[in-house]
Amino acid sequence: MDVFRPAHYNVQMDHRPQRLTLDQWDRRYAELKSAGLREPCYGGPLRRHYDDGDLRLAKLRMDDSPAALRLWNLLLSEEDRLHQARAGGKRLLGAMKDLGTVPVMAYALDNLAAFYVDGAWWLPCLMENQTGMLELADRYGIDESYCPVRAMLGALVSEAHFPVPDLMTCSVGATCDDVASITGRLTELGFDILWWEMPHRRRPEPGEESVTLPGGFYAPRPQVDFVRGELERVGAALEKLAGQSLDDDRLAAGIARANRVRRLLTELRRLAYTAVPCPLPALEMLVAEMLAIHFCSDQAETTAVLDDLLAEVQTRSRAGAGVLDADAARIFWVNPVADLRAMNLLEDAGGRICGSDYMLCHALDPIPEDLAPMEALARTALADPMVGSPLDRAARIAADARRFGAKAVVLSRIPGASHCGLECRLIGETVRRQLNVPVMEIEVPPLCDGLEQTLRTRLEALVETVKENRRR
Amino acid sequence: MICAGVDAGSRTLKIVLLDADRREPLASAVVDQGVDQDRLAGDLLARLLKEKGLRRSDLRAVVGTGYGRKLLAAVDSTVTEITCQARGIRHCLPDARSIIDIGGQDSKLVRLKENGAVADFAMNDRCAAGTGRFLEMLSAQLGTRLGEFGPLVRRSRSPAAISNMCVVFAESEIVGLLASGVEPADILAGVEAAIATRIAAMSAGRLAGPVVFTGGVALVAGMDAALSAVLDRPVTIAPQPQLTGALGAALLAAERRRGQPVQT
Repeated sequence: MDVFRPAHYNVQMDHRPQRLTLDQWDRRYAELKSAGLREPCYGGPLRRHYDDGDLRLAKLRMDDSPAALRLWNLLLSEEDRLHQARAGGKRLLGAMKDLGTVPVMAYALDNLAAFYVDGAWWLPCLMENQTGMLELADRYGIDESYCPVRAMLGALVSEAHFPVPDLMTCSVGATCDDVASITGRLTELGFDILWWEMPHRRRPEPGEESVTLPGGFYAPRPQVDFVRGELERVGAALEKLAGQSLDDDRLAAGIARANRVRRLLTELRRLAYTAVPCPLPALEMLVAEMLAIHFCSDQAETTAVLDDLLAEVQTRSRAGAGVLDADAARIFWVNPVADLRAMNLLEDAGGRICGSDYMLCHALDPIPEDLAPMEALARTALADPMVGSPLDRAARIAADARRFGAKAVVLSRIPGASHCGLECRLIGETVRRQLNVPVMEIEVPPLCDGLEQTLRTRLEALVETVKENRRR
Repeated sequence: MICAGVDAGSRTLKIVLLDADRREPLASAVVDQGVDQDRLAGDLLARLLKEKGLRRSDLRAVVGTGYGRKLLAAVDSTVTEITCQARGIRHCLPDARSIIDIGGQDSKLVRLKENGAVADFAMNDRCAAGTGRFLEMLSAQLGTRLGEFGPLVRRSRSPAAISNMCVVFAESEIVGLLASGVEPADILAGVEAAIATRIAAMSAGRLAGPVVFTGGVALVAGMDAALSAVLDRPVTIAPQPQLTGALGAALLAAERRRGQPVQT
């Protein structure tokens, strides 16, 4: 797809930025079109996604900028894009339990489109459980005791959303028990999956060569070599799928493109999380950060979307304009939420996100470009917070929360997610000890309507606590 | 200056009228919750004002709190029960550093700073274990009113082990225990210990300093002792524990009206 580069995509801001309901977006869209808004091929009013079944949009409040419109449209048109890619002759790669490694390799090749199959975990939320995907997963023995990512099983079996990929890869080992179980069941159902193993990251023993990883972690040389070997095996499969050699030059160029996305997100996070007032809502930031790991099936468009978002945030910051009150409580948020509405609730309660760890921080760190490309990818993969000690993740969260000036931390648990039962406790203890700020645990299911009152109370209480501490 | 705090809890509705100048409650009341809690709150507030010879226009500020706070038309603003409990306890027991608040359908732990502000908190509102609901279920099973639990629990010699923390399953377990001849006193003591254990699990790393027990469950005889045993530290029941949230709301109403904290 040719990347859309609007000459005047950003309509001059002539009003205070705000979060809009879907109904309000209908009117805003008409205004923008009248003002000359030009859009990429996947553009259009948000309402059409609601009409197609993304019912949750009616309960969300979304940023009112054309850049945010483009972000949402990119996200919500991914299934169409995958079908178009296949119709156009591209081979599809489904990268499972992969927070930003194999997609980098895939987008180094010309004829592949990679996507994040696990992303189906948001479909029950977006479609308000109208998809039947969770029921299908139930039927195949993957019940609600598992993480909502089980929706991907239903999506693959039903083929009702995205096309079945030509190749599926999945990391197993130290990554996620739930995904390992689900992909194991997929194999029993006849899906062919190329697994690659990710060992639990350990500290180097005395006398062992220590390798520095992105994010400031360390791993012993044999572990890096092992992961590099696994990735080379995956790379060989991708070469076969694409009919093209994944040589070092090509991979280095792919890494450079991925790093462009990462740099954009780093700057976007820096501005969005530090500027006062907050220039971009938490919801759009969550969606934007997720683009780092899978590029929403189109790396070039992802880059363009992030360019737009960053330009919008820069414009707002320079103008001192924001979507929230300047005194919003600064909250650091840990883990992505199954129900996107939770991000709105925090802001409705008087908070703002001032930092995040959506379990993909390593996918925001630049991939080293001064190393052999596969070595660089192996090191990046080993920096995944899920494969190391929870204490490593806790330390990074505490450091990031301090850097971003967080006054409280929310630990958001995902029902059924079991990658580390200890994690929230350890993160909470570490943050309390190092930052002496309140830490609150919540659990957000795919649809939090029934818990909205209690979630509101917790978030409001946290905001009250932060503001009271500020006053005293 | 007269202010009021309205605590619309899940099981009961509480109101405190405060003489903000003398920093003393003028009147208070507790009634069972109902479907139309806005009307309930309005009627109760009117009754208290009338009893004190006051008119609605004498009230300078009203803060609502509790689960139903957003539904109250009679209040000027709302504050969460976490903040209100902290404020109320600060007024009653200034040395307190931790609050255990067990209500009808949730339980909370609040750690306080030396200045009385909230340092940290935790809530359980997803599971009836560790809440008054557990005791209500038991009351129905034993055919004993909550107010009669005191003499009963004192007769316990060997508290029963309650293995199910889920109220639904625990109900079946209690039926089984009764059928096998276990004394109701021992079942009650076992349930109180189970609730205390649940609270202790939630409190990990959060309790500090003198611990105060508040909320409706603080009125249930034996619960303070059960908590004290599990937490291995003294637990003090707050004066009028059902009312500390409403009192805190009234104090905050006065502070908001004046723009400064009411001295305690």
